[in-house]
Amino acid sequence: MMEQLSGLYIKEMAQLGELKVDYAGFNEIEEANEVYNSVEDIKLNGDEISSLKSVGVNLYDDSATGKFLMYGTNVYRSIPKIPGVEIIPLKEALLIYPEIKDQYYFKAVNPDQDEFTKTALNKVQNGYFIRVKKNVVVDEPLHTALFMHKEMSTMCIHNIVVLEEGAHLHLITGCTSGCTLKGGLHIAVSEHFVGKRAKLISSMIHNWGTDFIVRPRTATIVEDEGTFVSNYYSVKPPKHIQTNPFTHLKGKNASAKYMTVLASFPDTHCDIGGTVLMDGENSGAELVARAVNHGGNVIQTGLLIGAAKGTRAHVDCSGLMLNEGGIIEAIPGLRAIHPDARMSHEAAIGRIDMGEVNYLQSKGLDEMQAIALIVRGFLDIGIEVEGLDAELEETIQQIAELSGHGEG
Amino acid sequence: MLTINNLHVNVENKEVLKGVNLNIPSNEVHTLFGPNGSGKSVLISTIMGYPEYEITQGEILFNNQNINELSIDERVKLGIGVSEQLPPTIRGVKLKNLVDLLAPEKMNDEVFRRDMIDRFDMGEFLERNINDALSGGEMKKSELFLVLVTKPEFLILDEPDSGVDPEHLKRIGAMINETLHKENRWTGDCDPIVKNSGLIATHSAAILNYIHTDKAHVMLDGKIKCSGNPGIMMEQIRSHGYRYCIDCQQNNLEE
Repeated sequence: MMEQLSGLYIKEMAQLGELKVDYAGFNEIEEANEVYNSVEDIKLNGDEISSLKSVGVNLYDDSATGKFLMYGTNVYRSIPKIPGVEIIPLKEALLIYPEIKDQYYFKAVNPDQDEFTKTALNKVQNGYFIRVKKNVVVDEPLHTALFMHKEMSTMCIHNIVVLEEGAHLHLITGCTSGCTLKGGLHIAVSEHFVGKRAKLISSMIHNWGTDFIVRPRTATIVEDEGTFVSNYYSVKPPKHIQTNPFTHLKGKNASAKYMTVLASFPDTHCDIGGTVLMDGENSGAELVARAVNHGGNVIQTGLLIGAAKGTRAHVDCSGLMLNEGGIIEAIPGLRAIHPDARMSHEAAIGRIDMGEVNYLQSKGLDEMQAIALIVRGFLDIGIEVEGLDAELEETIQQIAELSGHGEG
Repeated sequence: MLTINNLHVNVENKEVLKGVNLNIPSNEVHTLFGPNGSGKSVLISTIMGYPEYEITQGEILFNNQNINELSIDERVKLGIGVSEQLPPTIRGVKLKNLVDLLAPEKMNDEVFRRDMIDRFDMGEFLERNINDALSGGEMKKSELFLVLVTKPEFLILDEPDSGVDPEHLKRIGAMINETLHKENRWTGDCDPIVKNSGLIATHSAAILNYIHTDKAHVMLDGKIKCSGNPGIMMEQIRSHGYRYCIDCQQNNLEE
């Protein structure tokens, strides 16, 4: 009892050393190999293609937007047919455009932040550099994927996305492992630069094996009137994921929106947060998190910092407990450091309402269908994203259906 | 069709139904009168199989099958449909999502779908969350629409007239009549003589101005105290309140 009362669970666990991960069990980071321009050369098997589809990535349509796949140490890249859109493996990009190093490379993420950013600085394999030039609006989403296919391997990548003034892009990133793979270590530094009046939607879908450790380190800088939307879906969590993406709303009227949906299972630990610093006048942020817990540990953290005149923010963390075991800790945080900041938060955690289940049964649904429908509704946080609907629908349906089976 | 024998029901270990007997044959619709708190909703919830209502004695038979142990949805599959008095709001779940699951074959038929939606003026509700921010009348309409989609053989309505304005009440009466009409299996038309069966619980009796029922019962303190002609009983209750029934019981006892 004392442990349950003694303070934030996440801090207690950290102090007890429970969150320490033994990285020695993972293989050394391997050197990056080939870059292919044809998807056939990567030789994906049927299961791997299905795994990628389940995280919203299709490499086989003839989209003009371009594609990027990091498959273990190999890269496949399809060059965009749209003028003003570039996708280049980061290592190559640093050679072609040496100025990237001064302008963007570790300019949003601090390389000294922790051991993972340091690893990415020293041992990065590759990653993508995506740039959309001034006023280019990309209608179709750009699909990228990070695929781990070797047991107990370590993937260490660094991605940079630059949207110049007025540019629009919807980036879909699927992160997954082969369906038979159990363990691996995934380290990913992502830096986004959203220019004036630019809009970046970043939709990320995760589906991992049971013993994976995942450490994304993401930061975004948004200029005047720029918009950053981050949609994160975790269908199957790894053993341990810890991430706290940071967004700096630097410009006037800039905005950020984080939408996080995850399902949690026994013996997994998801610590997923989001921090937004609202530095620009009249900038705004919204953070919405939903967790469906079947018995794992879920920490939902959000910290919105109002640091300028007219800033406004709202954070909403909600969790459904579908099992006797497991923990959800919701920590919706607000910090006003300017008197004109207007901020609000809400959080709700609870079991599924059996009155609602019975009601839907009285209309003719069986118990599993009823639970799945309610969970589907709980996860519907009003994300309207062009180009992702079908995949997203399927992903959410998958989480909801798993919930129906997990009950009772 | 529906027979209830000596039904005793506990809610949180307290006896609420104290020996209910009721028989509704096929092709008959009965009214269940009773003041608030008399046990009407408990009876309906028990017929539907809601788990918090514990049957301690007695049986519920539907088409001669004992349904005491069946789950809620199994009862619905046998042909029992319910329109609730105070249905819950379900966040994020659009009425359309539920309707599609209830009658996928029918609702995929675009002609049927359009016809149903237009006739009952449900277009604007389909894209809204189930029962979210609806007026009393709209809520009843939505409940009846869900029943109409599946067309049960036995219809249970819990207070279809409570909190409903007169304009909506007329429409709701029409929807109930539609649900009660049985499609003639030979001609495909609605036969006004042959109808589905049902039980309509009401304490105000306002809905009876729009629909015909064959028999009425009065429930008081967890028991059905008397039964008779719905029109006569309605008049008595309207003039004298439920006191009429209590007095009648006392007279019976004294005699």
